[in-house]
Amino acid sequence: MESFVLIKQVPDQSSKAGINSDGTIDRAKAKRMLNPFDRYALEAALQTKRQHGARVTAITMGPPPAMEILYEAIAHGADRGILMTDRRLAASDTLATAYTLAQTVRYAGSPDLIFCGLQTTDGDTAQVGPQLAERLGIPQVTYCEAFEIRDGILLARRAIEGGSQTVTVSLPALVTVANSAQRLAYQTLRGARRVQHLMRDEAARAEVIQIINLDDVGADPERCGLKGSPTIVAATEKVGEIGGNCQVFQGQSVPSLVKSLREAASISSYIGAG
Amino acid sequence: MVQKRVLIFAEQVNGELQPIGLELLGSGRLLADKLGATLSALVLGSNIAHLSSTLIGHGADEVFLADHPELAQYRTLPYRRVITDLIKSWPQPPHIILLGSTTTGRDLAPRLAAYLETGLTADCTELDIGPFEYSNSKDPSKSGLFPNCLYAIRPSFGESLKARILGPWKNPQMATVRPGVMVPLAWNGSRRGEVFQVPVQLDPSDLSLQIVETVRNLSQAIDLTRAEVIVSGGYGLGSPEGFELMEQLAACFPNSAVGSSRKAVDSGWIPYAHQVGQTGKTVRPQIYIACGISGAIQHRVGMDKSQTIIAINKDSSAPIFKFAHYGIVGDLYQVVPEMIRQLQQGQPQPQASPSERIPVLQGQ
Repeated sequence: MESFVLIKQVPDQSSKAGINSDGTIDRAKAKRMLNPFDRYALEAALQTKRQHGARVTAITMGPPPAMEILYEAIAHGADRGILMTDRRLAASDTLATAYTLAQTVRYAGSPDLIFCGLQTTDGDTAQVGPQLAERLGIPQVTYCEAFEIRDGILLARRAIEGGSQTVTVSLPALVTVANSAQRLAYQTLRGARRVQHLMRDEAARAEVIQIINLDDVGADPERCGLKGSPTIVAATEKVGEIGGNCQVFQGQSVPSLVKSLREAASISSYIGAG
Repeated sequence: MVQKRVLIFAEQVNGELQPIGLELLGSGRLLADKLGATLSALVLGSNIAHLSSTLIGHGADEVFLADHPELAQYRTLPYRRVITDLIKSWPQPPHIILLGSTTTGRDLAPRLAAYLETGLTADCTELDIGPFEYSNSKDPSKSGLFPNCLYAIRPSFGESLKARILGPWKNPQMATVRPGVMVPLAWNGSRRGEVFQVPVQLDPSDLSLQIVETVRNLSQAIDLTRAEVIVSGGYGLGSPEGFELMEQLAACFPNSAVGSSRKAVDSGWIPYAHQVGQTGKTVRPQIYIACGISGAIQHRVGMDKSQTIIAINKDSSAPIFKFAHYGIVGDLYQVVPEMIRQLQQGQPQPQASPSERIPVLQGQ
């Protein structure tokens, strides 16, 4: 069984480094991390390895430092990694990204299951997974919270508004994993040692992690990056402050706060007369 | 000159229209009027003929009904097939297609956009029509002045930012729209519109996914969207135990629920169902009490329509104090217990029974 997991390196939102005053990101300066949603996707892929002996391939598209998250995936137990990196990929929107990833997936093999995080924290669209599934012509299960595989059929529970839905689907299929799914466990000692070895031994690294570009996967550069993207971010603007007339109390004046709430006509009925 | 079309996808569940469809009609009507376009509603399901009058009364000029037993419940591939077949049957694609940013819309819209090889903007909070002039030396083929672009506006990564996304080079220009943001038109029974039956021709491969069971637990769904008072905890709680205190504060109010920021969810302190904000739920309670939440845009867009916002944070420069109505600067572990004492003084508050609120379960 072959499981692919698609992961992305994103700016670390908890750090102010590399965030320009206009809110755009200087990716060269920003601290980087594995997209938090992808941790759930990686855990799901590793579940297929534990339960069905699947080979797990982690795939990422990004600039060369994205290698770091392939090492991270291997330290958690992924078997191999693929880094799709090419300057012509700059400014890809989700359509162009999905095209590039579809070419990369086809190049890398015939997966039974492809796992993606529900969305990334930088793009925040949740579009690439379904767009990739469309390009590959396979069914998808989005918002997946839990799953098992029985006799080549995926049985999955997905989150929907106000509840959940259980579906069965034949493989191959693509799954986007919600952050209500199983959390990623710690790195394994074996995985961490393997990464140390790969970092020291270039020949061993090249066997486990492939670094490829658009030409390797036969992608049409006109359909990638800026040229292949039907949308652009035309402008960003600061959100105007609303309110701005906050009544501020200091910590020790809780009684006066509650008193003010009781006197506020619009909400007093919720507070009780006191 | 073929008539331009703005197409909205109206979701139904068990033959009932979901609110998002009427919200999209409200927004779509403004766009269509600016464009001089027809506003079309598309609904898929089984035995749904009765829905067309509602859609017309709320602003649709025409309704496309795809009525077939296999379409009773939403499934990606059959819906994708029927909609793309319909669009291909028209002399030109719609100028704009809007779907809701629901679990259904976010499952379906990217499949449609990838099939149609067109742009899609996720989870918009504002839409407009306007001109756009583009020049880029790296991609000169796209340069030009474009009238009548869809301005798809969404909160974006970073602090207090909105991004305007445009894709005028190819129609349809597509967007998913956040539920609860757009305002439906008032019902008007005198509106007239045309109703068309959409042919349904599925391929056996479209049926590879079967729905075993769908559970919509409405007592759970009171959760955040129907609670009148929401007590939300953020990363400032410092630990998952902080949510017990949030529960106690929520219990001081009838019809209350506990919410959280994304960071608290991502830290594993509370399940995703409680998340308010850009990647969680949009809420509009009467009272929203934010404890240890800084108020970054990602959270703010999910709650800033609340009637009264009360912020508790020890950092007086936290952005939340810019838009809260009441703020208290202090350690929430001292402030909240005191608040509970104050609220419980005097008239005994009706304690919300556990069944009225989502229990906060640690772990999954």
